[in-house]
Amino acid sequence: MNFAERMLHIDRRIIFLVIGVCTLLPLLYPVGLAIKVSPEVRGVHDYIEALPEGSVFLLSMDYDPASKPELYPQAVALLRQAFRKNLRVIGMTLWLPGTGLADQVMTQVAREMGKVSGKDYVFLGWSPGSGSLIINMGQDLYKAFPTDYYGQPTRELAVLKGTQTLRDVNYVVSLAAGTSGIETWYVYGKDKYKFELGGGCTGVIAPGLYPLLRSGQINGLIGGLRGAAEYEVLIGQKERAVAGMDAQSATHFAIIVLVILCNVFYLLIRTSRKQGEAR
Amino acid sequence: MIFLRRQLPLVITFVMGVVFAAQYYVPHPRSELMLTEVTKWLQIIGIFALVLGVTSLFHIHAVKIRRKEPGWGYSLVLYAGIFGTIAAGFSYSSTASQWVNGKETINGIMTAFGWIYLNMMVPLQGSMFALLAFFIASAAYRSFRARSREAALLLIAAVIVMMGRVPLGEMLLPASGDVTQWILNVLNASVRRAILIGISLGAVALSLKIIFGIERAYLGGGKE
Amino acid sequence: MSFELLLGAWVATGLTLFIFTFLYQDNPLFKLAEHLYVGVSVGYTIVKDYDLLVRLIYEPMVKQGDWSLLIPLGIGTLMLARYIPKATWLSRIAFAFIVGVGSGLAIPRIISSFILKQVEDTVRPLVSIVQGGPTFTYNLLDPTSNLNTIVLLIGVVSVLFYFFFSIEHTGPVRVAARTGILFLMVAFGAAFGYTVMARMSLLIGRLSDLIEYADPQYGRASLWLGLATVAILLLWNVRQREQPPDKG
Repeated sequence: MNFAERMLHIDRRIIFLVIGVCTLLPLLYPVGLAIKVSPEVRGVHDYIEALPEGSVFLLSMDYDPASKPELYPQAVALLRQAFRKNLRVIGMTLWLPGTGLADQVMTQVAREMGKVSGKDYVFLGWSPGSGSLIINMGQDLYKAFPTDYYGQPTRELAVLKGTQTLRDVNYVVSLAAGTSGIETWYVYGKDKYKFELGGGCTGVIAPGLYPLLRSGQINGLIGGLRGAAEYEVLIGQKERAVAGMDAQSATHFAIIVLVILCNVFYLLIRTSRKQGEAR
Repeated sequence: MIFLRRQLPLVITFVMGVVFAAQYYVPHPRSELMLTEVTKWLQIIGIFALVLGVTSLFHIHAVKIRRKEPGWGYSLVLYAGIFGTIAAGFSYSSTASQWVNGKETINGIMTAFGWIYLNMMVPLQGSMFALLAFFIASAAYRSFRARSREAALLLIAAVIVMMGRVPLGEMLLPASGDVTQWILNVLNASVRRAILIGISLGAVALSLKIIFGIERAYLGGGKE
Repeated sequence: MSFELLLGAWVATGLTLFIFTFLYQDNPLFKLAEHLYVGVSVGYTIVKDYDLLVRLIYEPMVKQGDWSLLIPLGIGTLMLARYIPKATWLSRIAFAFIVGVGSGLAIPRIISSFILKQVEDTVRPLVSIVQGGPTFTYNLLDPTSNLNTIVLLIGVVSVLFYFFFSIEHTGPVRVAARTGILFLMVAFGAAFGYTVMARMSLLIGRLSDLIEYADPQYGRASLWLGLATVAILLLWNVRQREQPPDKG
């Protein structure tokens, strides 16, 4: 086996080590490169910024612990902005395993911003059905969620006063990690009940949501950790997402170098084989 | 009896399918009320669907333990995880002075159930998926080769997007950010739109086949 | 720092490191963590399920007297008949109801959302009308410019042609399909780039937590548990090599 062949069959644990080091070092020694904000992230931010005080904002945290690194920072940034704007916030999730995380983020940010459950925000929790749940909420919010997550009757909550159905919600943002997410909210929700819809998502599903962004079916899209970092820059509170961007830069370049090397070695092997055949 | 076993399910599917497809176009209050009620029913039926998923898992690992198959000790760990979590979920919280009833926090105080969720379930699931970062790098190194012009185009697009989505890439090559935006908003959007239209047409066709009884796989097997 | 927080940090760190040992080799630490993960997830689902049964069925029915919920309760119970061999056919009625309603709800909504709306946005005007008359905008950075509208239209049509396998890809159809392939390659490249970003973000998240738990206030959990994990792995490796190979 020549050098190129040996390099292509290198023990994959060496590649694991390279990726590990490229992730760890920038986290320990951050540089803090500037982050440019994209129009799709600005779309969500500017819409919330323009909402008058007292508007109803529904944040559906449709993800599980696997997607926490990408979507949790998005949830924190959105809630901080919504609470700062004194919007009436409704939190919920379409994903059962994500209920605890959604509860944690709402409680944490609300406490930080001095907001009270029942008066300034409500956490509805999870209910089965996704599409049929959204339709049920669109028909009658109190029928879909007779109580909030903590057992308080929703009809008695001050924060939901005047909100009978999804038609009374001013803005819905779905933070999605897969199916039962943004598309579900559009198909079973916005299509009939005509609320404005924005989205946040993991990097895996982000490219697939651009058709909805282009057609105006969603008015903005926060894609992955990069989107979360852009949002943190917009609200002026740089935290975990921004801190992770240096590591993101390092790992991306590591992958680019690996891919280039792979192709260089492959070319060398092909050339030497052709030369061997010519002889 | 044959009608009950074979034909009745197909009749139910047909009637329900046609009624609820037509309901979309009928804004009459009675029609809306029917939609509200039946979507509520679907939420309740969804609870039983969860039960089905959970019981099959129990069965698989119970068999493993009973037959003492290799690795049956790990099945015991699995059962310990299940029953430990259930016990925490229905325990009494002395700090909050009430039953936990499946809540992660009570009045801002973390329960034992919440402790298991945040310190076991979240790190375990997060770490499982974090492993993928290593495997994608290894796979990219071993197999991402420009064997043809199309593959080379895929590779170039991937490199541009990877550069354009990170601050270092935008700093070294400012054009990469703009080109990435164009690729995502125009080229990628057009392809994904075509795929979305195609998949949606297929989904509608499948739904129609189910309603008209041509597609029956959803009914499952079993003696008729 | 409270004992629960400290214990939680050590348990979370330990389990994270056990999962990461898979990168070296499949081993008992990973298997332990893997089975624990499945167990805890199932236990969580069961607890939430019971909570829902009480909140959505028991309380509305018994406390508020909404007895119409007996109908979905009956249908749901029919689903469980799947486990009784002689009564499996009863579960078909439940599945028929769910699938029938689901299909009926989906058809008009999918047509409206994903077919009509998407086609509507594709067939936009190829020139813009301004005060002076029609004009052609060609700013590539503006997705709504006329040039990009043409590119988008070509992309959508050519990819749809590529996926239409009922006719032979010859002549003009072949040209359209080949164009579609080029668009597809760029889109898949973009998808790969975004997937890399997503996967790396997940790793960044876990390592950020490990760095936080290496702090003295958490008793340097990451460092001590990291050393312990490496030691256990090395010991296990030595034992594996010492064990004679299985005969036959």
